Amino acid sequence: MDITILYGTETGNAEMLSEDLQSHLEGSHEVEVSNLAEFDPDGFDKARFYIVICSTYGDGELPASAQPFAEAMDARKPDLAGIHFAIFGMGDSEYDETFNHGSKRMEELLTAHGATRVGERLTHDASGEDLPEDLATDWADQRVAEAEPLLSAASDA
Amino acid sequence: MTVQIAIVGAGPSGCYLAQALGKLRDDIHIDLIDRLPVPYGLVRYGVAPDHQGTKGVVRQFARLFEKQGVGFVGNLRIGDPEHDADLTLAELREFYDVVVLATGLSADRKLGIPGEELDGIFRAGFLTRHWNDHPDEAGRIPGLGRNVVIVGNGNVAIDILRILAKTPHEFEGSDLADTHTQRLSEAGLQTIDIVGRSPADAARFDPVMIRELGKLSATRFVVEDLPPAEDGEDKRLAALRELGEAGASDADKTVTFRFGWVPERATGADGTVSEAHFHKAGGGEELVIACDTLITAIGFDDDRAMDREALLSRAVDAEAGAVEPGLYLAGWFKRGPRGTIPENRADAQELAKRIAADLEAHPPAGDRPGATAIRARFDTVTDYEGWLRIDEAETADVPDGRCRRKLTLVEDMLAAAGAKRETR
Ligand SMILES: Cc1cc2nc3c(=O)[nH]c(=O)nc-3n(C[C@H](O)[C@H](O)[C@H](O)COP(=O)(O)OP(=O)(O)OC[C@H]3O[C@@H](n4cnc5c(N)ncnc54)[C@H](O)[C@@H]3O)c2cc1C
Ligand SMILES: Cc1cc2nc3c(=O)[nH]c(=O)nc-3n(C[C@H](O)[C@H](O)[C@H](O)COP(=O)(O)O)c2cc1C
Repeated sequence: MDITILYGTETGNAEMLSEDLQSHLEGSHEVEVSNLAEFDPDGFDKARFYIVICSTYGDGELPASAQPFAEAMDARKPDLAGIHFAIFGMGDSEYDETFNHGSKRMEELLTAHGATRVGERLTHDASGEDLPEDLATDWADQRVAEAEPLLSAASDA
Repeated sequence: MTVQIAIVGAGPSGCYLAQALGKLRDDIHIDLIDRLPVPYGLVRYGVAPDHQGTKGVVRQFARLFEKQGVGFVGNLRIGDPEHDADLTLAELREFYDVVVLATGLSADRKLGIPGEELDGIFRAGFLTRHWNDHPDEAGRIPGLGRNVVIVGNGNVAIDILRILAKTPHEFEGSDLADTHTQRLSEAGLQTIDIVGRSPADAARFDPVMIRELGKLSATRFVVEDLPPAEDGEDKRLAALRELGEAGASDADKTVTFRFGWVPERATGADGTVSEAHFHKAGGGEELVIACDTLITAIGFDDDRAMDREALLSRAVDAEAGAVEPGLYLAGWFKRGPRGTIPENRADAQELAKRIAADLEAHPPAGDRPGATAIRARFDTVTDYEGWLRIDEAETADVPDGRCRRKLTLVEDMLAAAGAKRETR
């Protein structure tokens, strides 16, 4: 399958996780990684599966690198019907009231434009015990397995 | 040909810069040099011990050494020999094609008011380093009293307030040493007054830092000097208003926020502070707070180990951090003591582009010895393996409810690192 990993980051943790996931998935898939800051919302492709990794900043806001993307989405309102994505959030329960609100906003942004979420959004807690890559690799394998029939059904249709 | 690059200071700026440079060119070798045998600067020695999530960023930095081939040269101070430096900048530049100074700003800014040298007055950098077990301050024990005044309205002031106000069980999961928790609870703190010069809506702390305070178990909050509530007001004001209404009913500590008061002088009895005097910003009104401890958290300054002023003034592009091709400044050392970890990342990415462009325009000969020359001259320097052994020693046998027990003496670090003792 062709996969694009998109990350929104501020201190770089989401970028590092994207690179880890790329190495993990690369054996069996074609995987590209892109910073959301450099990704054009008109560039979504129904034939690809999107894995979005997004952290949270300020008062539950999107991280700096996801903000230009969110603005471009609002301005251009692309039709994302037929686009499949999975989303992984990075946050810190030190900020419990806004814990992982960034990834939640990102999910809402994509679904509001018609994209379909595959599986549940999983969240990582920087104050917790788990390492993000330990959570994300199994999660990504499952999402990719779920996405495969969805994407091939779409290309047959 | 390999371009040898030395980054002095292994804090977030230095680490982010190494990361960004590594992504731009592959014909370079980078060494991160630090005066301590341990890397990561203020992530280890500034960020509050009860904010372990923020410290998670070091996992990225560890990759530099583990996978990206960056070298770590620890226990080597660069700068003026009068400040105990081991190697001058000029000597270091002989060994490397490019040198970047990312040494931070570690001296505390002074208030500049009469009475500032009284006993019982402490500065933020000293306290936060002490609580983080920085070897420079491990031996100086602050005698804290019951009535504390904090001057300053930044995130560092709030970190200090939170640490003072927490009860021992609220440090669960942190790396605050038992000795600190014990001293803090023995101080029997009753009141904390936190006083800022600016009005509340111009305070420099983040609203999330204020909301976190609302969760403290044994503390009551009073917020003075707030303007009348308004719809859609500044988030800081909203957070402060909410805090003023929160607070434990069984509280044994009271925290009072005050805004718009300019510090004027500290007065004392028998050489120890007993009163902090303020006047209203733009007015004549006076405020006197009785206290036995006064803490100033008003920013940081240059430690003068390197001639920062001269470097900045002769820079071809001070804003970009370019002194001249081959010599650069990064992070707090370049920008001044403002900005969080993410800002250093953005800054480092810009500087990396500048360095790469200069390398294109002025290709170096590529015949510099780099760390080989340093290791030949100093048998006292440490490496990344040494830090891993220190890390192992610190995390091997930790007290209940703690994630690390830091070594507090450079000697002990060197012993753990397996390096030779300093012989000078
Ligand atoms: C108390 C405190 C708490 C903070 N909390 C947070 C927070 O929670 N979140 C956040 O995002 N930001 C926080 N910050 C801000 C953050 O720490 C800084 O933005 C960042 O550390 C600046 O990075 P730097 O690499 O420029 O400097 P530093 O982190 O200071 O690193 C400088 C390094 O240089 C080394 N060095 C110094 N002099 C020499 C020399 N002469 N030779 C060799 N090595 C030398 C030092 O040992 C150190 O390792 C905090 C800052 C402070 C002071
Ligand atoms: C200044 C600051 C504000 C943050 N605010 C939040 C927040 O509101 N909610 C949350 O869940 N995490 C918050 N975080 C935690 C980050 O989302 C978390 O550290 C994450 O791992 C960072 O990923 P990144 O490096 O990809 O940006 C904050 C971190 C910082 C430094």
